[in-house]
Amino acid sequence: MLTRIKGGRVIDPVHGRDGIGDVWIRDARIVDAPAPDVEPDATYDAAGRIVMAGAIDIHSHIAGENVNAARLLLPDQHRATTASPPAAPLSHAVSSTFETGCRYAIMGFTTVVEPAISPHAALQAQLELADIPIIDKAILAILGNDDFLLGLIRSGEGAAAVSDYVAWTMESTRALGIKVINAGGAAAFKANARAFAFDDVVPFYGASSRDIVRTLQRGVHAAGVPHPLHVHCNNLGLPGNVETALATIAAADGLPLHLAHLQFYGYGKAGPRGFSSEAARLAEAVNGASGVTVDVGQVMFGQTVTVSSDVLRQFNARRQADPRKWLIVDGDANGGGIVPYNYRPNSFHNAVQWAVGLELFLLIRDPSQVFFTTDHPNGAPFTTYPDIFALLMDRDLRAEKMSALPADAMGMTTLGSITREYSLTEIATMTRSAPARLLGLHDRGHLGVGALADVAVYADDPDRARMFRAAALVFKDGELVVRDGAVTRYRWGRALTARPERDRAIDRRMNDYYDARYGLPPELIKVRDGCIDRAGAFEFVPCRT
Amino acid sequence: MVDAWIDGRPAAVDAAVAEAANLLASSRLPVVAGLGTDIAGARAAIALAERVGGAVDHMHADALLRDLDVARETGMMVTTPNEAALRADTLWMVGPGLIAAWPDLAARLIARAPDPGLVVDRRIFWLCPGSKSEMPDVGGARIDTVGRDPKHLGAVLAALRARLAGRRCGRTQVADRALDALSAGLAAARFGVAVWSAADLDALTVEMLCGVVNDLNAATRFTGLPLAGGDNATGVLQVCGWMTGFPMRTGFGRGFPEHDPWRFDVRRLVESGETDCVLWISAYRPVVPNWNREVPTIALAASGSEFGRLPHVRIAVGRPGIDHDGVERIAATGALGCVEARNPTGAMSVAQVVGRIAAALADGRTWPC
Repeated sequence: MLTRIKGGRVIDPVHGRDGIGDVWIRDARIVDAPAPDVEPDATYDAAGRIVMAGAIDIHSHIAGENVNAARLLLPDQHRATTASPPAAPLSHAVSSTFETGCRYAIMGFTTVVEPAISPHAALQAQLELADIPIIDKAILAILGNDDFLLGLIRSGEGAAAVSDYVAWTMESTRALGIKVINAGGAAAFKANARAFAFDDVVPFYGASSRDIVRTLQRGVHAAGVPHPLHVHCNNLGLPGNVETALATIAAADGLPLHLAHLQFYGYGKAGPRGFSSEAARLAEAVNGASGVTVDVGQVMFGQTVTVSSDVLRQFNARRQADPRKWLIVDGDANGGGIVPYNYRPNSFHNAVQWAVGLELFLLIRDPSQVFFTTDHPNGAPFTTYPDIFALLMDRDLRAEKMSALPADAMGMTTLGSITREYSLTEIATMTRSAPARLLGLHDRGHLGVGALADVAVYADDPDRARMFRAAALVFKDGELVVRDGAVTRYRWGRALTARPERDRAIDRRMNDYYDARYGLPPELIKVRDGCIDRAGAFEFVPCRT
Repeated sequence: MVDAWIDGRPAAVDAAVAEAANLLASSRLPVVAGLGTDIAGARAAIALAERVGGAVDHMHADALLRDLDVARETGMMVTTPNEAALRADTLWMVGPGLIAAWPDLAARLIARAPDPGLVVDRRIFWLCPGSKSEMPDVGGARIDTVGRDPKHLGAVLAALRARLAGRRCGRTQVADRALDALSAGLAAARFGVAVWSAADLDALTVEMLCGVVNDLNAATRFTGLPLAGGDNATGVLQVCGWMTGFPMRTGFGRGFPEHDPWRFDVRRLVESGETDCVLWISAYRPVVPNWNREVPTIALAASGSEFGRLPHVRIAVGRPGIDHDGVERIAATGALGCVEARNPTGAMSVAQVVGRIAAALADGRTWPC
């Protein structure tokens, strides 16, 4: 099957391409233009349209026990029971797996990473991913509050043991990478801690949060996992927590490290309310740390639900639940918490949070170092991405939105003084090429020959939010799946996973550990081939060598 | 061996499948009920219900929704069976029905030694367990029983909550001294876990219990372990959640999922005459429906099922983890896990039978949910 996407404005930062031209697809791959006498089987006219690779979301909570608990906790947020906001007809905080895949595809997204899965609940997450249609997906497995890793640190075992354990966990869970969430904080919470900072020590294990992050960062690197350690820092959401983020960035020590939803760590204590933006300082630190990448976790106003494996933070946040209900889980390691929340434009704190996110986007210079996310659904549902892209591309739109927010809140930020506007190429870098590189997905995020034929075509609409909300055409693996903002073909994507090498001695050690600690074989929690009843459910991503 | 029957007479599986498809397709409001099946079976059955515009319910939905109602009306703290076993220095059993809900309760929780690095000494309380037969034989473990009759549990929990908050309260069926000792014991916990089964409690009692647990966290750590019963009830709850965004008792008649615990209760739908076809599924055990009204029924039944009213179509299905491999919620971990067939047979799984029924539907649709 030979397909021609004809005469669109092709934007492909990896190949320095921004101009009118064609994109050719043979079966599932991008190919060179054939000889002039070769007729394509299908031609799609892209004149007046923008052609980009399919977008990649590196951090969106779309599956797993906590997300599913949010679905069950919030029947009142279901599309059947809420009126859709007119500006974003698909915007709901929680959606089923089937809706999730369709809504992402409609926006031109073709790969999405669920970043927080407890290893013992990985099978459920993979089953959920298998029910998310059209797009490809992946999970990151959480380590860092688990007894085995904390035990390795306590007993001073070397980097090789950590690397083998990382590799074992990745195979057991079929993950694409490793995440650490409030390192040590969940374990300390079980010992009745109510706050946990970067240099605090987990009772009994004697490991500090800094020890855990550095140990895992090195273990993930040594194992050859393509994606660097994905870090959710301590002290999320607290005034003055910029110091935590700065300390974590400094601890990266030249090795790759990804900091998730940095907006939630951009807070100072200045001003009459003791809550201010420190985004400028934080952005400066990121600009100076070339191995560090961040995603934003932008806040957008409206009803949502916070879903987090940072159980300590969620426990402390449950009094702000809106509506007033919540679920707090002390898990085998991290656990988590579900707390509904409504970001209100007339709230001083929420308005500062909104501005901090935009400041980070605009003050971090390299668009391949900062990633759009809303930490879906924590800052806002992923369906608000098009509105965020529009804000980044248009300073007048930002000024208009700011004028409707509390002036004292805006006074605690630098947003009003920032004139930068993202170009379409910068948007393509942030949403396509940079995420592919960060995840080690070398055949995605660009339109070069040999790339996977994941392609999104948008109308070149001056209303950028409208443009990105509903793609004109989306191709997944070369198949047309969306036309004029509606799903036209239902297909199943794959789950991406990396499988680093390990010393097989770890397997026997883990069997012994599970037997001694749980009286159970680890096979019980492993994701095995027969568990997902679909051929080609997984795609193996090569590790770094 | 006969695997299928139509009106009690042996039939070819294909004929039974075709008859089932006809019945479902010609019904106004079919209901998929029982739903005692593994994840693949539940997934197939829910997709089928969506396709025929029916509703889904589970045989343990009353208890599941009682716990869920507390979480979605107020708040709830919970933990996993393994974390409770390893870390709890205080286990607080509440009410009757715990062994019925989790037959391995004694071996996997009460009699299991905690992590010696985390717990020095463990205390176990049991509030209002009901008759002696409700309590397991736990060998050497000492259990302090407080009160007996679970009928008064709600009032006793309220009195306990008032005590813990330093408020005055009236007398209950349990002696003041015993309640004082219990409240002191719970407050002294470093990591306490309350264990209950909603099958035998009403929602207000569960809510009061969860309120006590929440209040205890003002000074120490306490959490809960709701026991959910068998037949993969919580596994099916999870599948229903991710496929539809709702728990069971969800209907698809209007073209999108709607959840209503009253409207889509299969007993009400049958006894009011609103449903004209039930697809009953019970693969783990020979459980049969006990409704007080005749309704055309298709049964995917474990062997040994004895129906009071003859189902119109009956197809034999294997037991997950015995006849065939499957994924289900594992009681010991509280998470989904793979179970391998202990004695593999050629018996069809629920997913296979439902898949054949779906394939026999002539509507040409294939998209789930």
